[in-house]
Amino acid sequence: MYEKQILICAGTGCISSGAYEVKEALDNELQKNNMEDKVRVILSGCHGFCEKGPLLIVYPEDIFYCEVTGEDMPELVEQHLVNGNIVERLLYKDPNTEQIVSNHEEILFYSKQKRLVLRNCGVIDPENIDEYIIRGGYQGLKNALDKDPSEVVEMIKNSGLRGRGGAGFPAGMKWEFAYRSQGDKKYVVCNADEGDPGAFMDRSTLEGDPHAVLEGIMIAGKAIGSDEAYIYVRAEYPLAIKRLRTAIAQAEEYGLIGENILNSGFNYKVNIKEGAGAFVCGEETALLASIEGERGMPRPRPPFPAVKGLWGKPTCINNVETLANVPLIMRKGVKWFTSVGTEGSKGTKIFALTGKVNNTGLCEVPMGITLREVVFDIGGGIRGGKKYKAVQIGGPSGGCIPESLLDLPIDFDSLTQAGAMMGSGGLVAMDEETCMVDLARYFLSFTQNESCGKCTPCREGTKRMLEILERITEGKGEAEDISRLEKIAVTVKDSSLCGLGQTAPNPILTTLRYFRDEYEAHIYDRRCPAGMCKELLSYYIDPEICNGCRACTKVCPVEAITGEKKEPHVIDEEKCIACGACLDRCKFGAVKTK
Amino acid sequence: MERFIDPCCKECFNSKDNRCDQFVECCLTGPLCHDSEECAAKRRAIVEKLAHSPGYLEQ
Repeated sequence: MYEKQILICAGTGCISSGAYEVKEALDNELQKNNMEDKVRVILSGCHGFCEKGPLLIVYPEDIFYCEVTGEDMPELVEQHLVNGNIVERLLYKDPNTEQIVSNHEEILFYSKQKRLVLRNCGVIDPENIDEYIIRGGYQGLKNALDKDPSEVVEMIKNSGLRGRGGAGFPAGMKWEFAYRSQGDKKYVVCNADEGDPGAFMDRSTLEGDPHAVLEGIMIAGKAIGSDEAYIYVRAEYPLAIKRLRTAIAQAEEYGLIGENILNSGFNYKVNIKEGAGAFVCGEETALLASIEGERGMPRPRPPFPAVKGLWGKPTCINNVETLANVPLIMRKGVKWFTSVGTEGSKGTKIFALTGKVNNTGLCEVPMGITLREVVFDIGGGIRGGKKYKAVQIGGPSGGCIPESLLDLPIDFDSLTQAGAMMGSGGLVAMDEETCMVDLARYFLSFTQNESCGKCTPCREGTKRMLEILERITEGKGEAEDISRLEKIAVTVKDSSLCGLGQTAPNPILTTLRYFRDEYEAHIYDRRCPAGMCKELLSYYIDPEICNGCRACTKVCPVEAITGEKKEPHVIDEEKCIACGACLDRCKFGAVKTK
Repeated sequence: MERFIDPCCKECFNSKDNRCDQFVECCLTGPLCHDSEECAAKRRAIVEKLAHSPGYLEQ
C-alpha cells in the first residue's frame, strides 16, 4: 500500500506545459528521499483545467497544485511529502476573490461541473486497464452481452441520448436503423475527427479514458450486429492514438476485444484509421470515403450510412463523446441517465471553454445549465474585468449568443432556436473588444478554406460571403452588402450537400441577427465599434508622450510619419494606410487610435 | 496476482481458449467459481493499491 499517490495530468495541454519534466523531477526527488515505495506517481489523462497546467494532485488529502514545474519538486517533496506542510504558493488562487483554494472540488471551475463522460479523465492511469475495471469499466459491455440486441437498442433509444458530434440526432434511432438493415457484414465507426478550431473534447476523452470509448463501440457493435469497428482519428492526435492502441492491446489480452468475448460468442475487432485532418472528414459520408481510401468528400444521402455505409455495408457512425456515454447507460440504467439534463436533451455535454474568460479548459456540464453559469462561474468571468459581449458556441458551424441570452439553457433545442447549435462543443467567450463582423469573417475564412469544393453552393457561396465580409472589415462595404450576405447565406444553408456548407453561414446569420448595428457601423459610418478592424481606425501620435525616437518612421511602409529627431512626430492621415505597424512598434504608447 | 488478468490460483480457468463469462465481476468481487479468502484478498490488494482517493470506488 502506498502512503500517498500523486496524479500528474498528462493530457496534451499539460505535457506541452512540461508535465513529463515534472514527473522526471518528482521521480528523482522521491528516489533521493527513499520514498519510491511509499509514493506512487501516476500520469493521468486531462484534468480539464489546461489554463493552469501542469496540474498535480496529492492523494489521499486531495491537494491541488497548479502551474508546477520540475524546479518546484524538491520543495514539494520536502515540504508536503516529508514534513506534511502544504506548499501554498503552488495552490490555486481565485482570479476574482484572490482566495487560495487547496481542494480542487472547491474551485468554481470544477464545482459546477458534472463529470460523467470525463469521470475517469484525470483520475485513472489511462494506460492501465485494471483502473478502468475498478471504476466500473466493462460492466456495461457485460450487461449488453447478456441482452438481446433489440433490448440494447431500446435502452439507448429510451435514454434519449443524442449525438454529441454536431446535429444532435438521436443515437438510439441511428442504432435502430443499422440494426434493422440487412447485411452479411456491418460496421461501427467512431468519429474522432475533431476539427473545430480550439476544440479538444474528443482528444481529451481518448487520451484520458480510451477504454470507455472502446466499450461504447463494442456495445454498439453488439446492438447492431457488427463484428468490426473503425476509429477514425486525426493523425495530429498522436497521444490519443498511442493510448488507444495500448487500450486495444490490453483489452485483447484481457479477452474483452477479440474472439468469444466473455464466453458470449460475440467477436469483435477494432481498427484505427488515421485521418489527415481535413475538416470535411468529420462529415460522416466524407469520413467513410476517407476510410475507404478515397478523397474525403461527402456524398448525397439517401442512402444513409445505416443502410449503405462503409464499403457499401450498413454502418453506424457515432462521435467519441456519444459512445463514451453508452457504457454508463448500460451499467447504470436509463432512469439514472435521464435524471440528468432537460426534457429534450439528456445527460451532459463537454465544452472546450476558451476565449476571454479567466478559466479556460475542458468542462462537462449537465444539459440545461445556463450560459451565464458556464461563462461566469466555471469560466470565472471575463478577463481583466471587461464586459461580456457574446459566446460563439458550436465552433465555425455554430453561432454567437449575445448578452441578452446569457440565461439561455444549454440544450440542443434552445441553442437551435437561438440560431446557434450545440455543435461538437467549442465555446469561445468574447469581450467588448471583439468585432462581431471580424468574428464572422474569421470563422467563414476557416470553413471556406475547408470546403471540399464538391457542391457549388458551398464552394462558391462561402467564397462570395468571405469576399463581402473582407471588404466590410476593410472599410469598403457597400450598402447592399447586408442583404447580399443574407441572401447567399440562406441559399448556402439550404442547398449545400453536407453539414459543412449547411452550417457555415451560421456565424454570419447570428451576428447579423444580434449585432446588425456593427455591420451598419462598418458600412455606413466606416467605423468599427469594437476598435479592432485596423483599416477602419485612424492613427495619431500623442505629442505629450512621443519622444521622437523615430522607431515608428522606420516601420511605416508609406512614409506617412514625419518629425525631427527627439521632437514629437505626426502622422499624415492622407498618406496613412492604417496598417498599424507604428502602433505595434512604439514602446512608449505614443501612437494611438481613434 | 499483480493484475486482474493473472490467475489467482490453479482454480482460475480464464484463458484465451476458455473465456470466463464472469471475468469482469470476478475482478472486483471474485473469486466467483471457488471459495478462497486468499484469492479474494489478492483481488482486494490490486484495488487497494490503485484506489488513490476516498471517492475512487464510488462509481
